[in-house]
Amino acid sequence: MKRSTTLFAALILALAAVSLAFAAEGNARKGKYLYRQKCRSCHGVSASDLSPSSKTQAEWKKAFAKPEAIKCYKDWKGVTPEEKNDIFAYLHDFAKDSPSPAKCN
Amino acid sequence: MNAKLAMVIDSAKCIDCKACVAACKQANGVSRGVWRNWIKEAVPPVENGKLGRGHFQPGACMHCDEPSCVIACPTGATFKDKADGSVVIDPKLCIGCGNCIPSCPYGARFRDPVRRIADKCTYCPERRAAGLPPACVDTCPTKARVFGDISDPNSDAAKLLAANQGKVVRVIAKQNDTKPNMYYIASTAPDGWAVKPVNPLSFDALSQVVAPLVKYAVGLSGLGVLAMLGRQLLVGQKPDVGTPHEGPEKDKKEDGHDAR
Amino acid sequence: MSSNISRRDFLRLAGMAATATAATAAQAALAPEARAAGAVTAPQWESKFGACDMCFNRCGLIARVERGVIKKLDPNPKFTKSRGMLCARGNAGVDQVYDPERIKTPMLRVGNRGEGKWKAIGWDEALDLAASKMKDIAAKYTRCGMLFSAGADTQSQFVHRFAEAFGSYNITSHESLCLLSGNRAFVDTFGDVPLPDVRSSKYVILAGANRMEALVTPDSMDLMTIMREGAKVVVLDPRYTKSAALASEWHAIKPGTDMAFMLALAHVIITEKLYDPKFVAERTSGLDQLAAHVAEMTPAWAEAETGIPAADILRMARELAAAAPAAMVYPGRRSSDYENSTQIRRSFAIVNALLGNWDRPGGLVPARPAGLKKVPFEPPFYDDNPPGRVDAKSVPLLFDDEGSFVITRENIIKGAPYPLKGWFVYKTNPMATAPDRRKTREMIDKLEFMVVVDIAMSDTAWMADLVLPAPSALERQDPVQALQAGAEGACLVWRDPVIPALHQSRPVFEILKTLSVKLGFPEAFDFDIPKYREMQLAALPEAAEILKRDGVYYPPNPPLGGTDGQPFKTPSTKIELYSNRYADLGLDPLPVYASPKASPDAGRKFRLVAGRSACVTQASSTNNALLSEFEPENTLWLNEESAKELGVKQGDVVQVESPAGKGELKALVTPKIRKDTVYMLSGFGTISGKLSHTTGVGASIVELMESRFDAICGNSAIHETFVSVKKKGAA
Repeated sequence: MKRSTTLFAALILALAAVSLAFAAEGNARKGKYLYRQKCRSCHGVSASDLSPSSKTQAEWKKAFAKPEAIKCYKDWKGVTPEEKNDIFAYLHDFAKDSPSPAKCN
Repeated sequence: MNAKLAMVIDSAKCIDCKACVAACKQANGVSRGVWRNWIKEAVPPVENGKLGRGHFQPGACMHCDEPSCVIACPTGATFKDKADGSVVIDPKLCIGCGNCIPSCPYGARFRDPVRRIADKCTYCPERRAAGLPPACVDTCPTKARVFGDISDPNSDAAKLLAANQGKVVRVIAKQNDTKPNMYYIASTAPDGWAVKPVNPLSFDALSQVVAPLVKYAVGLSGLGVLAMLGRQLLVGQKPDVGTPHEGPEKDKKEDGHDAR
Repeated sequence: MSSNISRRDFLRLAGMAATATAATAAQAALAPEARAAGAVTAPQWESKFGACDMCFNRCGLIARVERGVIKKLDPNPKFTKSRGMLCARGNAGVDQVYDPERIKTPMLRVGNRGEGKWKAIGWDEALDLAASKMKDIAAKYTRCGMLFSAGADTQSQFVHRFAEAFGSYNITSHESLCLLSGNRAFVDTFGDVPLPDVRSSKYVILAGANRMEALVTPDSMDLMTIMREGAKVVVLDPRYTKSAALASEWHAIKPGTDMAFMLALAHVIITEKLYDPKFVAERTSGLDQLAAHVAEMTPAWAEAETGIPAADILRMARELAAAAPAAMVYPGRRSSDYENSTQIRRSFAIVNALLGNWDRPGGLVPARPAGLKKVPFEPPFYDDNPPGRVDAKSVPLLFDDEGSFVITRENIIKGAPYPLKGWFVYKTNPMATAPDRRKTREMIDKLEFMVVVDIAMSDTAWMADLVLPAPSALERQDPVQALQAGAEGACLVWRDPVIPALHQSRPVFEILKTLSVKLGFPEAFDFDIPKYREMQLAALPEAAEILKRDGVYYPPNPPLGGTDGQPFKTPSTKIELYSNRYADLGLDPLPVYASPKASPDAGRKFRLVAGRSACVTQASSTNNALLSEFEPENTLWLNEESAKELGVKQGDVVQVESPAGKGELKALVTPKIRKDTVYMLSGFGTISGKLSHTTGVGASIVELMESRFDAICGNSAIHETFVSVKKKGAA
């Protein structure tokens, strides 16, 4: 019993650390909605098929650190910085090497 | 040359999943509580205080070459089909007397509780007419059951027999080798479950001497049939014999197996 | 029976028989022992392809239909994943269709919950009611106030789609009551959930996987085949299951000690350098930490934990490594055993990594490409929703799309972090499958509306406010589904009805489509099934024709080894023997073994374990008329020595009790189970008034199981319960 209490305390701490590490930056659920609204219109149709599991977390981080360098950045006009963060959170949290990779098929 | 339908069973492949039993019941509309085929489990050996390798043995009517059930049948309803060697029950002729049930040393027969006549494995003739294997064979996950005409060297069953020459064994009732057409590869375990065929005493004696004639007479005589139906009523009051699913019968003395 | 026949009937029958017999017997008797049977004509069947739905394997089948009635289900020989078989359950699929107790019309509860008083209503009324209740709940509690639970069904994807369009994050399936610990462990080690290529394997260790009874195609059949070809299959199980009986070698391992066995294998493989140094250097990370971690975990140490002799462990480690890479620790499927099951399965994954069997024949292979396209949609976003699932952050590594049923249930009872008041259930049955039935009942009592769509009146349906009849898989049209068969590649199946839907049943797709209109998001279901299939198969132009012709389609299957040189989908891009993710989360980065907890109560001596018969798919098949002949009731497996101590004889009724509940069932006194362990089948002791083969028959395992969960992923942990056993009537 004691062991599991200690374990649980450790988990809570760990979770706090995780949320600080990445989830705090944006709302991944909203990001999923925004991604479908703003990105799917091209990606998967006229542009490359893209989903969170297309890249690793590190690759998404790198891409979003300098979004100006992304090929389609010119089409991002209607996307607010907050929305961009949400989209990043979604792509990052469900990246192919994430703990919850987005399912393909 | 006439066909000789047989089942060759590689029982070491059997996983006791009961697919064959379920398929048989579904294909043949076998009534609840009775079974045309079965899988028996050998008592596992104990090795170093631990249970050893298990073995399962699928079975059913063995469509014997010298079937004791045919002798026991008073009406000729049970007969050996000369075209393919299968042992057939003609439902129109069966009066449900129950003689054939204890006469089968393998417990393959039972009385259908709904139609009230003898029943057992038929090798699924309707399916065969449609070009399909018997239901138990078709559905088997590990293909432990192989069926075919063993007089045709190109049949799967004959090939399997040929490939395992010297390793093929049969379950037989020793005192009365009925020449079963059920071949097992390598092992008959569990053995010791086939029982001595039991025929009505007087009937047995008669049939051995003048079987065809007596049968003819009994078949024609309304009296004889009435007598048999009387037996059916008596037998019907007890639970049916021949639910082989329940496992080995108690009387184990008379059995054995032969190695070929 | 004949004993009921009246004397007059008897004489009449006798006379008829005598007349009828006389004529034919005359000919017959001429050669009574050999005559020709009349030609038998082939049945007037129509043969139609289908895919079985009696378990998750989806074996391809051919339905033989005569005048609109299904007569027989046969295996589809072109469906090679199942090696051309249909098991007992598959054959019994006919009885599911013609079950007289099936739900026939929409039913509205009119009595108290669970009382069994129903009123048949029309579909319009039923769907209007469902829509208005869901609207009310969304308005009062946000859209996350609805929970959606769907079973492993081909149409379950529509429930997920609907939930997303409706706006709820709360979706569960059977997975968090079954297999998530294994998935978690392999995702965190390999970055993938691999498939075992049993067919080419030379050495397979099955730890707690009973493949000869819990059938998985093609693995179950392939295990028999490879043993015949000389491969070795080792089974570790506290029970002498049929897998144990048929294995090359069986060890009655002490429950809860599998990790000790695996770490000792790792110890031997590392200390004797039996691994492939090139593979381990190039493709894994953390060997040094692992080596240090297992340095003291000798076979002798593991013997004391597992009860398996050290010499055998040493030998098996060497044999396993010698057979590598065509060797494996079978990953298994149901891994909902212990609170540390993820770590237990990590130890399985680690041994596989040392064998270098990744993407190799006879090893673990990545899922093969299936080529199906997703059918995208754009569900709206609701700003008033809470931030996440109701079970979010309860454990460190919850799968976001699966969650945890037992934690969700706990939080619904608590009403925290937010109230959840509605439940939409499709073909899943937590009342009979989730541990601690009283808790599930308690959760249901917190709900304002519960609707269940199912074929039969399950225990869960029995608790609902509204029950909607679904057709069986033989009566409906389904989308395309991809199935995986190890190295042999994916295959695709679909279903068309082999008979029209019986009674008033409607597929859940139609139910959801109608509800999507009533709830104002029709665009989410703006298609029918043929159109949906077309979109799924957009990249496989030839597939539809082949599916029609063969009942199955095999997309191109690239050879194994395609991932050589590719990074693994883990943070380090390698197979993580040492898990960086776990280290970051403060979890044990290597699986730390602890002896299983002893029973906290001396009166409860036996660990209760769950398992399967090949004739039972948990609670979904025990009421099947045909299958109930094979498993008419469940029994408590009790070791013969333990039984002697308890004064229990074969067939005695025993009372079994745990802190969760109690049950009565017959004892099966047997040498086939350890003295410290008892076992029973699930799916009995049901409560629904429409399950006549199982209600009041045997004991319910979920009445006895305490509710525990995996500390890492929230998967249910169903082997953590100790029970007391006594003969009924004994003091």
